[in-house]
Parts: sequence; structure tokens; C-alpha cells
Amino acid sequence: MRTGVIGLILPPTFSFLEMMWRICPALAVGCTVVALVSPASPTPLLLAQLSGELGPFPGILNVISGPASLVPVLASQPGIQKVAFCGALEEGRALRRTLAGECAELGLALGTESLLLLTDTADVDSAVEGVVDAAWSDRGPGGLRLLIQESVWDEAMRRLQERMGRLRSGRGLDGAVDMGARGAAACDLVQRFVREAQSQGAQVFQAGDVPSEHPFYPPTLVSNLPPASPCAQAEVPWPVVVASPFRTAKEALALANGTPRGGSASVWSERLGQALELGYGLQVGTVWINAHGLRDPSVPTGGCKESGCSWHGGPDGLYEYLRPSGTPARLSCLSKNLNYDTFGLAVPSTLPAGPEIGPSPAPPYGLFVGGRFQAPGARSSRPIQDASGNLHGYVAEGGAKDIRGAVEAAHQAFPGWAGQFPGARAALLWALAAALERRKSTLASRLERQGVELKAAEAEVELSARRLRAWGARAQAQGHTLQVAGLRGPVLRLREPLGVLAVVCPDEWPLLAFVSLLAPALAYGNTVVMVPSAACPLLALEVCQDMATLFPAGLANVVTGDRDHLTRCLALHQDVQAMWYFGSAQ
Amino acid sequence: MGFHQQGYLSWISKIQVNHPAVLRRAEQIQARRTVKKEWQAAWLLKAVTFIDLTTLSGDDTSSNIQRLCYKAKYPIREDLLKALNMYDKGITTAAVCVYPARVCDAVKALKAAGCNIPVASVATGFPAGQTHLKTRLEEIRLAVEDGATEIDVVINRSLVLTGQWEALYDEIRQFRKACGEAHLKTILATGELGSLTNVYKASMIAMMAGSDFIKTSTGKETVNATFPVAIVMLRAIRDFFWKTGNKIGFKPAGGIRSAKDSLAWLSLVKEELGDEWLKPELFRIGASTLLSDIERQIYHHVTGRYAAYHDLPMS
Repeated sequence: MRTGVIGLILPPTFSFLEMMWRICPALAVGCTVVALVSPASPTPLLLAQLSGELGPFPGILNVISGPASLVPVLASQPGIQKVAFCGALEEGRALRRTLAGECAELGLALGTESLLLLTDTADVDSAVEGVVDAAWSDRGPGGLRLLIQESVWDEAMRRLQERMGRLRSGRGLDGAVDMGARGAAACDLVQRFVREAQSQGAQVFQAGDVPSEHPFYPPTLVSNLPPASPCAQAEVPWPVVVASPFRTAKEALALANGTPRGGSASVWSERLGQALELGYGLQVGTVWINAHGLRDPSVPTGGCKESGCSWHGGPDGLYEYLRPSGTPARLSCLSKNLNYDTFGLAVPSTLPAGPEIGPSPAPPYGLFVGGRFQAPGARSSRPIQDASGNLHGYVAEGGAKDIRGAVEAAHQAFPGWAGQFPGARAALLWALAAALERRKSTLASRLERQGVELKAAEAEVELSARRLRAWGARAQAQGHTLQVAGLRGPVLRLREPLGVLAVVCPDEWPLLAFVSLLAPALAYGNTVVMVPSAACPLLALEVCQDMATLFPAGLANVVTGDRDHLTRCLALHQDVQAMWYFGSAQ
Repeated sequence: MGFHQQGYLSWISKIQVNHPAVLRRAEQIQARRTVKKEWQAAWLLKAVTFIDLTTLSGDDTSSNIQRLCYKAKYPIREDLLKALNMYDKGITTAAVCVYPARVCDAVKALKAAGCNIPVASVATGFPAGQTHLKTRLEEIRLAVEDGATEIDVVINRSLVLTGQWEALYDEIRQFRKACGEAHLKTILATGELGSLTNVYKASMIAMMAGSDFIKTSTGKETVNATFPVAIVMLRAIRDFFWKTGNKIGFKPAGGIRSAKDSLAWLSLVKEELGDEWLKPELFRIGASTLLSDIERQIYHHVTGRYAAYHDLPMS
């Protein structure tokens, strides 16, 4: 089902193709578009005029020309169901903040940098042409990080410099130029970058037949930039190529994945095995092998990490503008008195329970981290009460340190788990389902104490087991596809597990919700850190006792404690790849 | 200029050429460097000075050779050249290229026309090269005796396809010795070499063995001079220049029929190698009907009208 009204925000310099790739799928599935562009580019206005002449539907494409300060205004308009943002990182972040809690969804496509990995088994001349395509032509969106294997460093640099000498820059409509200009702002940005790079000791080489007026900037090759310098951390601006050497393929992957940007990359090697291995190892949205910048409308293009999470092109691009039919539209859940600094900072203290009556409860549960129960860092527990107000048990009070330990354990378990065959993962989930069935009576009795009727309790346990089995079966269908598009060569679309997921469970259905959230994450190869239901985490901890024997260590970690505090710790942790939250509006 | 084989075979052992990337580059070059108006006329005249005017048919006799040689001396009609102010600047084609049996006729005709452009002869079992080495060498010697100052030899493709690089090197050295003082052009017959990597390696071997020019094809194969092959050969020439400092020339032949194509070829050489290679000593185009198309374009530039077939002298 289509989403509705899309607000589209384009960066100050964008190519015609980029604009069409965002507008056309939205219109094709039936959404209408409101686009905000900077006044320097009149092309979208022309497009809107053409679309207005299409007869019975005058309002399908609307274009506003305005400054960047209008972006939050557009984004927070009540009628907009989705905002698609394409542009710089900082603005994307600011937009995410303004849109938090609003009913509009947000799709981000940030950053323009790409990466080119040149191994010593590559055809260096062709790779140099790839560099030209990527950085020094009108086809590439931004700058390029170039990683060259040390054994071919001299050869590659010589050919690059020779090739740069033949580039011609000029006005875009002159048929004999390779690249044009991108506006005064882009020119200033690149001048600042190059000056900074030079002051940090890099070597800058510029060449080419370029007019010396202001918005034209010559193609630039920067080498010997120390990796720890601030310049090397920032995104590489438009006609600059920053070249760095590497010694082995492993080092190349470490260098390539060691930036927060994850847009697109190309691997150049004539040896198929090596090329594929490097391709799989790069954490980016799109990898080209022995080519750069090949785009086709039916092939999805997107990014990961700081490059945003929206896709365009292909079926994934269409799904951006659709949502599953039957789900209600998102409601705004804006909380007026939200203070980011103080939310969940401190743990509210709990009064000790009254004198214990009846048989003394079991000793307090620890946190289930790294495959076993551990004592919490703060060494305190909180009481859990059952439906009649009596003491049901004690669970540990988790804090920031425990979260850190849990995330670390999850990361350690991740490579092994992600590398497992889908069948092995399915087998583990089914084993857990079987264990749940064996424990049915204990679990049902605990649920009863929480006020659930016996029959409903048993049904809940059965349903949990069934869900585990269902997700186990689904683990087999990974969703990778092989696509043949108009490009020379096939396109492989892989679905990779995200990494470590943080899940904060809702209060209701303490067992069922826990299991239903755990199973899909594990089925597709992720590891989890879970905060179980605050009202009754004991059920989750029972399941943990089974997981301790069945699962590899660190696969699922459970941290109990104050939900707000733990949510804050998880959200602020930079190394958690995704978070599922069920809880209060704040 | 002898190379010790063992050391320099390593120049070609690590080469690999990426075919799709070269094809992409070839498409780009044709699209991105177009020349118009008076610059186009200037480039076309320059292209004329690169042409090796060729006739390689079974029915060549002294009469059509004589016509060809005269056309080589006066490639463009006199009044058109006068209109462009280039009448007395010595616009002739670079050479005349004929079969070995016709070399005598060509030399006589050129002397009669009072022209000192060289006569190039094809040799070594042109076009297939599938004859004994002894007869191939003898052909070269006979052609040189008859007065040819440039020899276009054909390499033995079977040596390339079976990877016998040293044997190929030895053969071309022998051709070089048989040529003596004559200028040696080595035809690689790239349409039959199988892969771009083989083209690169064969180019390198030919240059190491002492050729003055490397030439893409005989003109008689199914696939003759195409841009991807040319890009690989030009890169080989550039690499050889970087390694040794010697400039070797390049000649595409076969399939170049229109003036627009010839301009694309000039752009290609300018892009890959630079302006120094745009001289008849380092660049030739092997063509026969190209000249008439260039003449028509120049006619159009000068008069603004399209010429009829009979307006321009036959070659």
C-alpha cells in the first residue's frame, strides 16, 4: 500500500538522474511528491511544470525553491507521511532529531564519497579509468578514497598523474569536456580541504586543462595524508582523490571498513576469487567489481552505517514508498516534556520489600550475559511482585557497565553466528522450542502467579514454542537474489545480518513478546541484547536457563533493570546496529 | 637494440587486461572529443598527411598503381587547397602501400610524379603469414631490393596462440635484420589473437624485437582496427616508452572509411599518447577509401555544398 505524500529534500548540487530516481518511483506507486530544492537549480521547477500539464492530476509533483532553513518546516508539516532526504550528514542528523516522534517516516541518503580498492592483480590502466569515472567526471557524485596495494603504488600513481593531465574541464554543455563545475559552495569546500591537507603534510597534485575562473576546480590527487589527521576522517569532497597504500587484502578491508561512511565501493582485481572475497568483506551498500559507478534503475543502490539507510532503484527502492497494507498510519507520539539529557539518567531507587511471608523465594537472578548468569556491576537487585502484590522474586539491577559487557559479548558471538548455515540456526531455534515445551508447567505456574489464568498461560507457552519453530523454518529462506540488469554482468543482492540488535520488550505478554522478538533476530544471523518486560522478567530469565545450555555464549544476552535507564544506555552505545523499542512515548 | 629475453619476458608475464573496462573507455572516447568547423578542416588535412594510401587487390596492375601514386602526391583537389590557404604546404599522403610485385611500378610512378614519399610493401606471406620462414625472409629482401623503404610484416599468429613468446621474438628479430635500413611495421593481426591480453603481449614483444611501428591488422581479417584493441596497443607503446625511452609508432588499418572515424582516431592517439605522436613518423592510418571521404568533407567545408561523385578526382 502506498505511503501517501512524500517530502523530498535534495542537496544543493545534484544530478538530474538522482532527482529522477527519487521522484519517479514515488510517482509510479501512486504517491505524490513535494520537493524542496535550492534556488540555484531550476530543473525541478521545469519538471513540475511538465507534470502539471499532464491533465487530470495537477498536483502530483510540487516543487518549492528555497533555502536549507526550510527543511525542518517542510519535514514537520502534518500532511507528509514520509520525508526522503538526500544530502550532507549533519543536516541529516538534525532532521532525524526534529522528526523524532512525529508521524512522518524518514529515509536518509547521506554522503557522496565512494571507495576504490586497487589490488596488484588488477589491470591498472583500467582502474585508472575507473578513478576518472568515480571522481573526475560528471558521473560521480563526490570524492574518492583510493586504496592502492603497495606493490603497484608507483605504477598507479604515475598513470594517474599522466591521465589527469589529459582531463578537460569547462562548461557542461561543451561537448568536449570531461567535467564541469559544481557551484561556488562546493569549490570553497574543496579549497578548504586541500589547504588543510597540505598543512598536515600531504602531497597534492593537480593537473588538467581547467579554466581558472572561480567555480572551476582542477582534478586533485592527495597522497601521504596521515590517517590520523582530521582531514582523513572527514568526507572527501568532490574533485579530490585521496590515495593511501595497503599491504595485504586483510589490511585493505580494515582500512576500508574503518570509516563511518558506507556508501559504495569498487574492487579491481582480475582474480575472481580475490575480488569476490574483498567484495563480501566490504561493509558498504554497493560493491562493483572491475567497474565503478555502474547504475541501472532496476538495481537497488543504497548505503549503510553513516551513509543512510534508504534505497533507490529496483524493488527495494519501491518498498521505500510503500508500507504493508493493513497497518495503520503512524501516529504522532510526540512527548512535550522530553529532556534528552535527563531521560533515564539515574535509576529510581526502590524501597525494600516488606517482611517476607511464606516460603523464602529463590536467590536473586543475575544478568544473563555471555552465556551464563553474572552478578550485575552495581551489585543490587530489584524485587518483582506478582499479581497479588506478594514478592515473586528478585532480579538484578543492570546499569551502563552491564550493557557495555552485554554488547561486547554479543559482538564476540556475532561472526560465528552470522557465519552459521541457516540450517544450523534453525536447528538451535527448534531445540529452544522443545526446551520450552519441556518447561511448560514451570512457566505456566509463573504466569499464573502474575495473574494470568491457567488455560491462557498454557496457551501462551504453546504459542511461544510454535513461534520459535516458525521462525526457525523461515531462517532457511534468506532472500538473496541474482538479478540480470542492463549492465554488463550479473547483480548479486545479498541480505546480510545487521549485527547486534538491542530489543526492549513491552510489559504485556512477558513470555510471548520476549520469544517473538528474540526469534526473528536470531533467525537471520544477528545477536541480541534484550531488556525483558519490566513487570515480570522472571519468565525471560527462565528461558535463559535453557539458552545457557543450548546456545553459544553471547548469542542472546538479557539485562534486567530500570527500563528507561537501560534504554538510554543502549541508545547511546555507538556499536549497536539497530534497536527495537516497545514502551513509553518518551 | 637487442633485449636479453630472460630478463624482459617478465615485462609481459604479469599483464592482464580488463576487457569490459577497455570497451567502456572506447565508447567514451568516441563521444567526448568532437571537433567542428575550421578546426575540423584542419584536423582532416592533418589526417590526410597520416594516410598510407593502400591498394592490395588481386587485380592491381601498373595503371591503377600509377593513378594511386599520383593521388598520393595530390590528395586534395587544387582549388580546395587554395581556398584553405594550404596549397603549397606540401599536403601529401604519408606513403603508398602495395604488394611486393607492384613495388617497381610504384617507385617508377612516384619518380615520374616527382614525389619523394616512401613506398611501403607488405611482406612475409601477407595476409595470413602461413608460409615457410625462408620464403618470408626472402620476400622482405626482394621488396627492399626493388626500392621499398618501408616493410609491413605479418607476425605468426600461431606462436601467439600457443604462447611461444621467445620464438615470436626471434622471428621478428630476423625480419628486422632482413629489412636492413628499411622501416619495419609489424602487423599483429589483432582480430585473430583472441584476447586483449594477447594483443598487449604481442605488441610488447614486437617493440622489444625492434619494430618501428606496430600495426593493428592486415585489413583482410573479419575484425580489423577497433578502438578497444587500439587502446591496448597505445598503452603498450606508452609503457615501452616509459621503460626504454624509445618512441614506437602506431598504425590502425582496415575498416576506417569515414572522415568522422579518422577524427576519432586522431583524438584517441592525442588522449592516450599526446601531441608528440601526431606526426607521420609516429602515426599512420592504413586506408584506401578514406581519402575520398575526407575530400568530400573538405569540399563541403569550403563550398557549403555536398559534392557529387564525379566532382572529385578518382584515385
